[in-house]
Amino acid sequence: MLRESSKRSGSLDSLNLQGAVAADSDSGVPHGGLLTAFAEAAVRRTDALPGLRDRIVAELGPQELVDAAGVVANFQRMVRIADGCGIPLDEFTRDATDDVREDLGLHEYASAANTT
Amino acid sequence: MAFEYAGVDLPIREKTIASQRMSWNMIARPGRWWTGAERVEIARIGRAARDFEAARSELLPEAAVHAIQKLVVDNANLSREWYDEIVAAQGMTEDRYVELVAVVVHALSVDEFHRALGLELEPLPEPVSGEPSRQRPALAEQRDSWPPLVPKAGLRPDDQMLYGPLEWGANVISALSLIPENVRWLHDLSEGHYLSFAEMRRPDPLRAISRPQIELIAARVSALNECFY
Repeated sequence: MLRESSKRSGSLDSLNLQGAVAADSDSGVPHGGLLTAFAEAAVRRTDALPGLRDRIVAELGPQELVDAAGVVANFQRMVRIADGCGIPLDEFTRDATDDVREDLGLHEYASAANTT
Repeated sequence: MAFEYAGVDLPIREKTIASQRMSWNMIARPGRWWTGAERVEIARIGRAARDFEAARSELLPEAAVHAIQKLVVDNANLSREWYDEIVAAQGMTEDRYVELVAVVVHALSVDEFHRALGLELEPLPEPVSGEPSRQRPALAEQRDSWPPLVPKAGLRPDDQMLYGPLEWGANVISALSLIPENVRWLHDLSEGHYLSFAEMRRPDPLRAISRPQIELIAARVSALNECFY
């Protein structure tokens, strides 16, 4: 979805998918480092979270913060549905991600055994 | 009324509030296999899952409590063997498991929204009295997911479009369909927190952050959870 949305927005050339999985990689998405740091702090419930909220409001805006929180909340749910039901990859996802799953290290996740 | 966001100086969207209220109503009502009181207890255990002492229940089977804790705190390490053990345990079935997962993950999503914004958690709803309907969908079928799934024809007419052009929907959309009402619930909270299924096919602008920013956050959350799907 990240790659597809970047393609649609004309920013595919600057996209680095490693930025989605590794904290020290720049995704190439505007404000991507701040948003992924926020996501990580929210998921891990770290002390960095309040400061990151303030930074998002200051650098992006309050609606951006609320929308980013919604995405975190949504995917905290979706991953548990996938993991809890052992769903396989959809055919279109498998085809679209064949070339990057290995590079991103996704096969090393324990849940890969349930979903391949 | 729940989710007033009184005194909150943030622009919470109306769709978000509506979908969170819908979620609390869903949790409070009797389901197909659990009473309203049991469903609220499932949400309570999910909220307390990281606290060993608080995550005990006199209302739920032991296997249900274990499943809730695992789903909340160790979801990356679930397996087919674990699922088979849980649904075979005393007081559990595939149907009860699917209903439990739906309550856990929707309640957790609403709580995570609040935590991410530094807001107090909404008090859990008061249970609605009544008995579960105990109706298993006639069209349920075992496919590649662990629990059986229900095809488009088994959903309420108004919900069938949620599967899009596919007879069985995308795997994550149909994953909880053994309780067909879950498909609508999944969609409506998606719309409130992320995007509706229809919006997912539309170009920006959709929210205050761009679609690549949305999907980057989604990808990071999935990676942090080590979710292959």
